[in-house]
Amino acid sequence: MNDERKAKVATGPDWIIPALGAAFAAYYLYSINDLAWEAKVSGVFCAVMLFLLILIFALRTVVGLVRGTHYVEWRSLWESHHLALVRGALFGLTVTSVAIIPFAGFTLSTFLFLFFAFLWLQRMSRKNAALTAGALALGGYILFILILRTAFPTGPFERLVTALTGL
Amino acid sequence: MNISFSLLADQFLLNFSYLWLIIIATTIGIIIGAMPGFGSANTIIMLLPFTLAVDVDVAMIFMVSLFVASHMGGGITSILLNIPGNGGSAATCLDGYPMARKGLGQQALVLSFVASTVGGMVTALMSIFLLPYIARLAYYMHSVEMVVILLFGITLIASVASDNMLKGLIAGFLGLLIGAIGADHIYSTPRGTFGFIELYDGVPLIAVLIGVFAISEALIMMEQSSVLSEAGMQMMKRSGWKETWEGVVMSFQRTWHMIWTGIIGLIIGIVPGAGASIAAFVAYQQSRLFSKTPEKYGTGIPEGVIAPESANNGCASGDLIPLLVIGVPGGTTAAVMLIVMTYHGVQLGPRLFIQNPGLGYGVFITMLVAYAVMLFTTLPLTRWVSKLVMIPTPVLAPIIIAFTLVGAFAPRAYMFDLWLTLLFGAIGYLCRRSGYNVVALLIGVILGPMLEANVMRALRISGNDPWVFFSSPVGNILWAALAFSLAIPSIVQWRRRRAAARAAIV
Repeated sequence: MNDERKAKVATGPDWIIPALGAAFAAYYLYSINDLAWEAKVSGVFCAVMLFLLILIFALRTVVGLVRGTHYVEWRSLWESHHLALVRGALFGLTVTSVAIIPFAGFTLSTFLFLFFAFLWLQRMSRKNAALTAGALALGGYILFILILRTAFPTGPFERLVTALTGL
Repeated sequence: MNISFSLLADQFLLNFSYLWLIIIATTIGIIIGAMPGFGSANTIIMLLPFTLAVDVDVAMIFMVSLFVASHMGGGITSILLNIPGNGGSAATCLDGYPMARKGLGQQALVLSFVASTVGGMVTALMSIFLLPYIARLAYYMHSVEMVVILLFGITLIASVASDNMLKGLIAGFLGLLIGAIGADHIYSTPRGTFGFIELYDGVPLIAVLIGVFAISEALIMMEQSSVLSEAGMQMMKRSGWKETWEGVVMSFQRTWHMIWTGIIGLIIGIVPGAGASIAAFVAYQQSRLFSKTPEKYGTGIPEGVIAPESANNGCASGDLIPLLVIGVPGGTTAAVMLIVMTYHGVQLGPRLFIQNPGLGYGVFITMLVAYAVMLFTTLPLTRWVSKLVMIPTPVLAPIIIAFTLVGAFAPRAYMFDLWLTLLFGAIGYLCRRSGYNVVALLIGVILGPMLEANVMRALRISGNDPWVFFSSPVGNILWAALAFSLAIPSIVQWRRRRAAARAAIV
């Protein structure tokens, strides 16, 4: 049974991108409905081509399913329960760190993100995680804020350094 | 455009007297080239107070050195982390990263540096002697020809970057459509922006680049405790100077390969707007096409690193030719250079070579010196830089996310761009897990605005006649080449199958 499956083509997750593409193309066409022809010709061309390609993909998959050369399988999207948890944790931490940047500033949000990531994902000790995350966040502050002058929102750390040193 | 030995010798001496500046500029260039979001154009803009204050010769030495170094630096993260520093090094990921995973990261880095140097130096030399002739190429490239070249680019990338061409095309055209978001070039009416004012200028490329490559790669790499395979880890632990030397030998065994792929980059670079991303992919595709073992491309072979890197750096010479000869910048960095040169009162175009030939030819002499300097400064570093892949992925992935997000924010300083990067990170993850190549998606987004601008221009000039796209002889030749390039993989495959069947019968 397994050998038989290996010879077949798995389908399912590969439908997400065409579905998103078709939805976006439909929205794009709707958004340019009232515009002058010149302003929409290139977008219409790309959207029509995308619909055509998705149609061919759909036909291929349906024919494959009917003939039995394709089978539906979703597991490849997350692989295992453990990996799904790890990836979810990393992405969740990233989203949280972006959300707190306007209040905490670059250095503190980067420190917190790295600290919890090292603590949970690498199972570092608290001391090691704090030292590594602190050194990296400080390095990032020196390179990106002090040298390259990236205009990140300032937080308590940046304000404290400015107040103490005038940098 | 008379050229004399004494003029070139003067320029060499001038460059050597500013060797310290070239070393500083190339060091900055390699670092920012390796950091997604910190391109050479942004850095030169940040350093405008310096380039505007010094003499124009010194400003050009600094800018050109930084520019070529950023082309070279982009390959470092492509090879070690599967994250291209810029669009031009996206094709390097295809074979560079598999080499790094096998524990051949050091050799791959050396291949990349040597190919960049040879490609850059050969094309800079060619540019000096053939400048007046190759510059004419730009005159034949109008909007119609550009439309075909851009479509050529996207189909090429779809076929090269994906195992499944249909999926590659879907990703490519989705990218083109994403690239069409924003206000149009003539009426400035917003399209497909979901009501976000931050998207009126179009989707920021850096957010897409960092999202689909860096964020999604960080999520994918969590499946293993190390980027390296078991055997690769053992090899990396044992690696020393021998591996660097091995990389040098590997490179020079393929000298001709480096030269002709560099020339491809030069030719494509001359076309204003075509850019290094197309050049690298065309060179990769041509390299695979003429290879005796095309099936090995994508598994981590030296030719797959040499071709895109040499073309990427050959394109750097090509980018500057239209700027100097006709005053039209070939890319963003060239546009910033134009501003600096204009500020200094330099008249670009044919007059430059009559009034100030030293400056015109000096650009390419600076390139020669900068590449020579970089080879000697970067090669010893490969032994240490390649160890980056030995960091466990649970440590490496968060660091990648934390520092590449800075690159997503830096160009426009909008928090919106960070959220957009995360969205593209999720899209990139879905693409990777379901067989859609993120390179095709990214190149689509890069080429989308260029395609639209050229389609609009061609239609405007022709009074909205769609047949304009088949009205130029050069354009028609390019259409035929496009059809040929789509057909040739099937023809080659069919011939191989037939030959194999015959061999089996005998």
